[in-house]
Amino acid sequence: MTAYIIRRLLYTIPIVFGVLMLTFVLFTLVGGDISLEIAGKGATQETIDEIREEYGFNKPLFLAWDSQFINHFKSALTFDFGRARDREPIIGKIKRGVGPSLALTVPMFFGVVIISVSLALVVAFVHGSIWDISAVFICVAGMSIPYLSFILFGQYFLAYKWGVFPVFFSPDLTMAQYVALPALIGIVAGLGGNLRFYRTVMLDEMRSDYVRTAFAKGLDTKRVLFKHVLKNAMIPIITRVVLAIPFLFLGSLLLERFFGIPGLGYLMIGAISSRDYFVINAMTYISAILFVVFNLITDICYSLVDPRVSLE
Amino acid sequence: MMSILKHKPILLLVGLIAATFVLAGCDSSSSDKDSDEMVLRHALFTKLKGLDPGNMRDVYSVTVASQICETLYQYHFLKRPYEIVPLLAEQMPQISDDFLTYVIKIKKGVYFQDDKCFPGGRGRELKAEDFVFAVKRIANIKYLSQNWSMFDGKIVGLDEFREYTKGCESEDDVDYAREVEGLTASDEHTLVIKLKKTWPQLVGTALADIATAPIAKEAVFSYGKDIVSHPVGTGPFVLKVWHRGSYVELVRNPKFRGEPYPGEGEASDAEAGYLDDAGKIMPFADRVVWTVIEEYQPAWLLFLQGKLDNSPIPKDNYNEAITETRELTPVMKQRNIRLKKFLDPSTFWLGFNMQDPVLGSNKPLRRAISYAIDRDKFIEIFFNGRHLVAHGFIAPLMDSYDPNIKEKGYARYDPEKARELLKEAEQIHGRALPELKMAIPGTDSFSRQLGQFLKRYVTAVGLDVEVEYMDWPTYMEKVNTRSAQMFSSGVRASIPDAEDFLGMFYSKYWAPGSNRFNYLNPEFDRLYEKIEVMFDSPERKELYRKMELLVLEDCPAAFLNHRVVFALHHDWYKNYKPHAFAYGMSKYRRIDMKKRAEYKKLLKTIK
Repeated sequence: MTAYIIRRLLYTIPIVFGVLMLTFVLFTLVGGDISLEIAGKGATQETIDEIREEYGFNKPLFLAWDSQFINHFKSALTFDFGRARDREPIIGKIKRGVGPSLALTVPMFFGVVIISVSLALVVAFVHGSIWDISAVFICVAGMSIPYLSFILFGQYFLAYKWGVFPVFFSPDLTMAQYVALPALIGIVAGLGGNLRFYRTVMLDEMRSDYVRTAFAKGLDTKRVLFKHVLKNAMIPIITRVVLAIPFLFLGSLLLERFFGIPGLGYLMIGAISSRDYFVINAMTYISAILFVVFNLITDICYSLVDPRVSLE
Repeated sequence: MMSILKHKPILLLVGLIAATFVLAGCDSSSSDKDSDEMVLRHALFTKLKGLDPGNMRDVYSVTVASQICETLYQYHFLKRPYEIVPLLAEQMPQISDDFLTYVIKIKKGVYFQDDKCFPGGRGRELKAEDFVFAVKRIANIKYLSQNWSMFDGKIVGLDEFREYTKGCESEDDVDYAREVEGLTASDEHTLVIKLKKTWPQLVGTALADIATAPIAKEAVFSYGKDIVSHPVGTGPFVLKVWHRGSYVELVRNPKFRGEPYPGEGEASDAEAGYLDDAGKIMPFADRVVWTVIEEYQPAWLLFLQGKLDNSPIPKDNYNEAITETRELTPVMKQRNIRLKKFLDPSTFWLGFNMQDPVLGSNKPLRRAISYAIDRDKFIEIFFNGRHLVAHGFIAPLMDSYDPNIKEKGYARYDPEKARELLKEAEQIHGRALPELKMAIPGTDSFSRQLGQFLKRYVTAVGLDVEVEYMDWPTYMEKVNTRSAQMFSSGVRASIPDAEDFLGMFYSKYWAPGSNRFNYLNPEFDRLYEKIEVMFDSPERKELYRKMELLVLEDCPAAFLNHRVVFALHHDWYKNYKPHAFAYGMSKYRRIDMKKRAEYKKLLKTIK
């Protein structure tokens, strides 16, 4: 397994290089020159030239040791992302945003997974009944409602009308207070799609011979569902769950924006809209690394839950 | 099924999670905790970019920074028309007979806020040299200030200083002691400015602009690039907390000298209660708080909850707040909410690139597009009928606004005339007119609706138009590189003088300068160079109007609307007189604490 892990870690090098190349090409070649924007309205040509000098936009793109791509590559490898357009160190921004983002996405993630897997077991067991049909109907309805509607509805009724939650972030609230409602909304909005997926996975298992055998042998429902069905359904569950973990780091764009949560989703969308290439680059790079690492963890988990899978 | 439901742990788990969220989230909130303090609470609709006055142009950063840093002059809080008055200056400047030398006495006894950048942490006295430093810093090319165009070619020796900075390695290597002939401190409290040519707007533009507000040089050198989050000024408030992107909190500056609330204003000010605090020492508030709220729904809900003192009216909530007669609805009145309506010195348009081979040489085509747009309908649909039709580009708030401009008919909706002009336009073009492209900044629903509206009216008279929606940076690049054919845009004047509007058509300011139309009219240029050095007079006002007509005749844009602001505030929010050039206003504001407390009780009865 060690050799496998090392080999997979080595695969990350071309992947990360590809990501760096892609972000560079997208924002430097396709995105165009941002000097004019940094210079502001009515800037003189000399100011624009000076900005190009300061940010290194006047350097060759590729074919030089001091080229823009090599500098871009170096800053990524050393995790020295420099300063954002507002002159704040990028790493400081990321560190500050991680906490609020994770405070929101982690409970959302666990809430959605635990509730949807549990309910999926139940509805799969009562497959074909009115409860199952109702669950599918509710899931489809939930998936059809735009995410924004959940947010607007939740914010208006639960926070404003009924006063159960605060409407918006305020520094005198605890983190638990200001993420509670957006996390709840995230869970409710995420249940439909997840429940349908896990229900399908459970149904596939329920129809297996070993389940029928287990019931025939007289095992109780709880034991069959939680010990056998759930364990055998773990491969697709792990694939979906572990690969979702890197995205927790990125936060939730809409929820963070509507509830004023100073997380990384908010940071990222701000960076995209203001073309803060330096922040986008840092976030993309870190996300890519996390994604590769969690992909590896997924594969390792496969071998732990399914003896048929071996890592060679 | 029942056997499954007997396994209560699942249900318990779901219940437990729900209960956890409710308990965690319980709104034990916020503003109750500061009931003894006078706190101003506002929303910012975009994130702050930085609080370094020398390098900021966005209105939100200026709004916050102007509570911390002060300028030599300011516009009077109550008097209308707007009148420039001293702030850090002792008096109005002494101007030489040739209008080229300004001698400005600085107030004594003004101190910078305490900060660890000073020896012993105690702020020192403000000196004339601090203003010299502020302007030289803007001139320093390594500092990359967005404000340099304000001073370019204006002050004796300053351009040479800028040339010198080009040879420096970095921002820190610049020697600020290097002499600039036209910018000196003749003594500790006297600033002398020598101009290359007459600059009538020096006081109203540059010396009342946050860009020239002194920031302690000790802080600049001590904090380096982090100065953006450590503004050390002389103003009534100091920065306490800045959670970037979400929250800013200022507290009263204990070293602030104290300024008396103005005792004079317009005739109606006494009746409106704006003179109730006359002579009292400002600031009144203990703290000022801004929360960054980029979506309108949460801002509106917080306002209704009494957690914000004032609010604009979101388009979607307009009917909830305002009746058909443009007054407050009974629901708002029940909450003791007040409405303020005021003119904003702004103009919006659909611009034409005059260097475009199709549009630039075809005046009938440009005029046809202008006649094709129903501005009344536009204002009704997009602004609930609140805005004014822009018959020209000088905003009605300006002294030089021509009250008869409407009669000249440049902005009328006349599709028949548009169709006639299009026939003429085709003859000039020599063949069928090609599809035109319209650049709209933004990809949100408002931008798309705007694009669809303009397209609908322009295509109705027989033109083909493709609307291109793009993010702001892409849009800026397109306009700045003169590659946009038609573009939706607007401007808001920064001073109560129409020069800002006229400068948009001066040929030396072609894009990326402020003349984004790339308009060229030698007669206009000649007049612009004349008015640029003229002091305010009836003659200059006439020239302004003449220049406006020159532009309207050439039609480099279809001018659409002037903004009229409808703003709401709670009745506890005092001294909220609309001010079109409203910087550093928090010191005037006061909270009626009793009324604020009453609102909380009122809310319970409404709910």
